[in-house]
Amino acid sequence: MRKPKFPIIHVWLDELSEIVKDEGILIFMILLPLAYPLLYALIYDTETQRELPICVVDDSMTGRSRDFIRRVDATPEVEVATHCTDMEQARELMRQRRVFGILHIPREFNERLWRGQQAVVGLYSDLTSMLYYKVEYLAVINVAQELNRNIKVLERQGDATTAREESLARWPIRFEEVKLYNSAGGFAAFLIPAVLMLIVQQALCLCVGMSMGRSRERFRGLVIPPTKHYKNALAIVLGKALVHFLMFMLMGIYMTVCVTHWFGLPNLGHFWEIVGMLVPYVAASTFMAMFWSSFIFRREDCILLFVFMSIPLLFLTGVSWPGASVPPFWKAVGSIFPSTYGANAYVRIQCMGASMGDCHFELQRMWILTGIYFLLTWLIYYFEIRKAVGRSVLD
Amino acid sequence: MMREVRAFGRRPIFLMIMFVAPLGFLWLFTSLMDAGLPTKLPAALVDEDDTHVTRQLTRILGTMQETNFVITTKSFTEARQAMQRGEIYAIFRIPKGTTEAALTQRQPVMSFYTNDTYYIAASLLMKDMRKMSEMAGLAMTRAVMRAKGKTDAQIMGTLQPIVIEAHPLGNPHLNYSVVLTNLIVPGLLMLVIMLTTSYTFGSEWKRGQQKKLYELCDGNMVVAILGKLTVHTVTFTLMMWLFDFVFYSYLEFPCACGIPRMMLWGFLAVLASQGFGLLMFEAFPGQMRMAMSACSLLGVMQFSLAGFSFPVSAMYEPFQWLADIFPLHHYFVIYVNQALNGYSISYVWGSVVILIFIYLLPQFFAWRLKDAMLHKNYRE
Repeated sequence: MRKPKFPIIHVWLDELSEIVKDEGILIFMILLPLAYPLLYALIYDTETQRELPICVVDDSMTGRSRDFIRRVDATPEVEVATHCTDMEQARELMRQRRVFGILHIPREFNERLWRGQQAVVGLYSDLTSMLYYKVEYLAVINVAQELNRNIKVLERQGDATTAREESLARWPIRFEEVKLYNSAGGFAAFLIPAVLMLIVQQALCLCVGMSMGRSRERFRGLVIPPTKHYKNALAIVLGKALVHFLMFMLMGIYMTVCVTHWFGLPNLGHFWEIVGMLVPYVAASTFMAMFWSSFIFRREDCILLFVFMSIPLLFLTGVSWPGASVPPFWKAVGSIFPSTYGANAYVRIQCMGASMGDCHFELQRMWILTGIYFLLTWLIYYFEIRKAVGRSVLD
Repeated sequence: MMREVRAFGRRPIFLMIMFVAPLGFLWLFTSLMDAGLPTKLPAALVDEDDTHVTRQLTRILGTMQETNFVITTKSFTEARQAMQRGEIYAIFRIPKGTTEAALTQRQPVMSFYTNDTYYIAASLLMKDMRKMSEMAGLAMTRAVMRAKGKTDAQIMGTLQPIVIEAHPLGNPHLNYSVVLTNLIVPGLLMLVIMLTTSYTFGSEWKRGQQKKLYELCDGNMVVAILGKLTVHTVTFTLMMWLFDFVFYSYLEFPCACGIPRMMLWGFLAVLASQGFGLLMFEAFPGQMRMAMSACSLLGVMQFSLAGFSFPVSAMYEPFQWLADIFPLHHYFVIYVNQALNGYSISYVWGSVVILIFIYLLPQFFAWRLKDAMLHKNYRE
């Protein structure tokens, strides 16, 4: 038999034409990477909770308590939706989910302040979402601190005579809070970059898994068709991988450039640095997908296997749940998935403006994973060819 | 039904998904959020001033719950680089001349930087540093007032006239595990249920057995659906109940309504997820792969739309409607109402009705299933 000249090209063309004919794979290769990032970005596009409805129980009914309430209402975080006459009424509104917090100003609020004593204001928040508690607490504590400073300056320490002295009494030390890289403190800017990377890896796994399962079904359990081009394991692995690799490099660039631009997500990375990070990431993901998929015998099985992994993998990246609090065992589990390094490297380059040198650890790990998974895949194909040859002899 | 049990034996992957995976999730998330709230997060301290006053300040900072200064340096650049390498989440900076300015009443400025691309870590550190900064200022005023002979009660009345007493209802320790583990693990199980439901129906077509199934149940779709799914229902419900026991009995998460009630809602969630999976299959009758794709695309999205990390009320309106079609969202609403707050179920009866409705809905479209059994073959 004459040896084909460029087996890689043959395998590449074969795989490409198979995929174009298969709508199941196309869904995961085109539709999912194109549409899913948009959908996710839209879900979180509002970034944070604004004007959360709360209700107020004002037992004090004085000018000062009304001033307090007005200021709370003026914050961007919450909106005073209703005033209730007693706590029971307020609680009922909370049970009906019409308000998500209660601000209770006690009867002796004003008197205590005049007497120079501390007055306690109660904030009861619904914990349906942790974010509710965060925004309510932030709004109320900011107002309280501002009022406290006014009281301190104007009423208690009446000896301040100049504006400068007043300012000093208000702020003996000034503090600056700087939220780096995500200045609005938004949800999208925090979650979406990691999700984008995960979509790449998961979609790749699904595509490769489907195409492998399909070969297995068609060629009686073999992952390669019994034709003459499929004799060289190296060529097969590279040829097949090239299809997915190129496609998902495109998708990766679409996500990191277009989606990021459209939704105003953090965008500090240089294009070529992002590409430099995507190459090992997509390569490692491709070979990992080829390796794991070789355990799949029916094409639908890969959906069962890969889909639900997405959520645990997101947590293992250490972006959504602080990496410093991930136990060592799970860190080890996370270290076999490229997404763990890919998400971190991408977040750093794109959101924090780090250079490739700053994330050389992640890049190095991704190249190592690429190497390991490539060798494993090669071995598997090598044995598959042996099996195929053995069978064709029997036939 | 017995046919379905036998089918289990032929599909090891199925058993893995049904048993091993959910238990794995349980283990992963309970160990991940063991501490409830992440503590001692790495941060850097840039002390450019380096006097005894600033050192005293840093000692106080070091005792805070969330902060752990792993780097102490004089150079801000060094700290920033560590942040870009991902080693730390926050920087506290005391500029040169702080002590001098404080002593001569020239309002020194200190700054803290948090890396908000790591949202949870940054929020926690920000809280600590804010508290710290507020207290540092107050401590200076307190020293002056004590020198003037005021009592501590008088001082507190001046320094902090209005005190906010926060009551996070139902979860007083702000334990993230209570909000997340408790919903992500059942949520993943619900995703598994959706997928396996469309998978098991799809397999009939794939193996060309759909006509046999039709004969077996005499064309009665209720019998076919119940027969095929009862084994699943029982297994998944037991799994859900196991979760309930681990969460509320072993880990002692708050459960104001009692475990039996939560078991009931868990059962309902299992049924609704099966209904959802079957509905997807009926939307693409006989096309196992399309049904499973739809299940997975929608099923993964329900984690975002359920509203336990990012609240539904903060999303655009169309997404608020979309959230209503997902079983996980309703399970979440019921969970908050029942286990966390212990209110009466009458406040969220709508969610209960929708869960039941999602379970029953496929019965209305059973004719599509029947039609597919007789006329449709497996399509690649």
